[in-house]
Amino acid sequence: MKAWQRYVIVMALGLVGGTAFAVHQVRGGLNDGLVLNGPWETGKSFGTLEASTLTRAKVALSGLMALPAKEAMYFTASRDSNGRKLDGRCSYDVRGGKLDGRWWSVTLYEGEGWLVKNAANRWSVAASAVTADAQGRWAFAVSPDAQAGNWLPTGSAKAFNLTLRLYHPSPEVIDSPEKAKLPVIERKGCA
Amino acid sequence: MMRRWIFPILAGGLVALGAYQATLLATPYALMYAALQKIGGDGASNRFVFSKMATADNQPIVRPSPDLSYSTCVFDLSKGPVLIDVSPVPGRYWSVSIFDARTDVAAVRSDRDTKGEPARLALIKQGQIAPAGYEPVLLGYDRGLALVRILLANPSEFPAVDAIRRKSTCKQV
Repeated sequence: MKAWQRYVIVMALGLVGGTAFAVHQVRGGLNDGLVLNGPWETGKSFGTLEASTLTRAKVALSGLMALPAKEAMYFTASRDSNGRKLDGRCSYDVRGGKLDGRWWSVTLYEGEGWLVKNAANRWSVAASAVTADAQGRWAFAVSPDAQAGNWLPTGSAKAFNLTLRLYHPSPEVIDSPEKAKLPVIERKGCA
Repeated sequence: MMRRWIFPILAGGLVALGAYQATLLATPYALMYAALQKIGGDGASNRFVFSKMATADNQPIVRPSPDLSYSTCVFDLSKGPVLIDVSPVPGRYWSVSIFDARTDVAAVRSDRDTKGEPARLALIKQGQIAPAGYEPVLLGYDRGLALVRILLANPSEFPAVDAIRRKSTCKQV
């Protein structure tokens, strides 16, 4: 084999390998390696100049046009509070208290962030939709079947994820999102 | 035998590193370009498009919020500054954000920042001047996206909010 052939072979492998590894990393989920809080994951630098090359690429894929933290924080869960993957055939309770921001909503997505078709045409539960008790506690259900009270359908999605948007979060949440009080996601049962 | 491969492998490693970095760097531009093409598909830039509320059948961008009304303006500064005037919706969270071609946020102004007054932004490049009464936003690229979000407490508010947001303008000077 001639020297130039060795170069061509190995450099072609390098080109394909380097590109493939980058694509693999970008596709490897929005939040790995970032801030964890129970089942929720977030990052501190979406949409800002401080975002790393990899974070920027990931956000462009899974959360293009995301707002910076002072405006809104995005917490995404793809597992329940016990660490099991969220499964569209199972029913869950999402329970929380007062969240430290101006307004919040929880939206159900599949894949890289697509709303799921469902007969009820519901895709999110917002702060204004839940009824809080005297202690400020609220809850809603996530389930493939209609539930009493507030209910977010999983439609036909097999795996899904939830994004909690917290608009105008408090400075404490912006500084330490890992300490913010966020809802729990409890699995009740599976079909 | 092995020695013949040392330099080719080193070269291949460098190519792999370069390809990795280039792919990461190019991803935001490529996805933003695709999004601008999709949103401004009819080729009209420097004007607002007032989208319907996101549903499972209408998802113009990834991870849309079904609680927010989105209005978008694909801007192009190559022929001069672009002025963004956002009509405020009383008592509702709303914001206007300016994204550059690399997906970075160049500016965000919400109702909290303007204290409920209209937001007036002049999108400019180096060397361009913002008209009086407009807050200048300096951009490093010609193209990008202005995105107005308005929060609805429930879908029945849409007609009222829609009427207000249609007073917002995006226009080249």
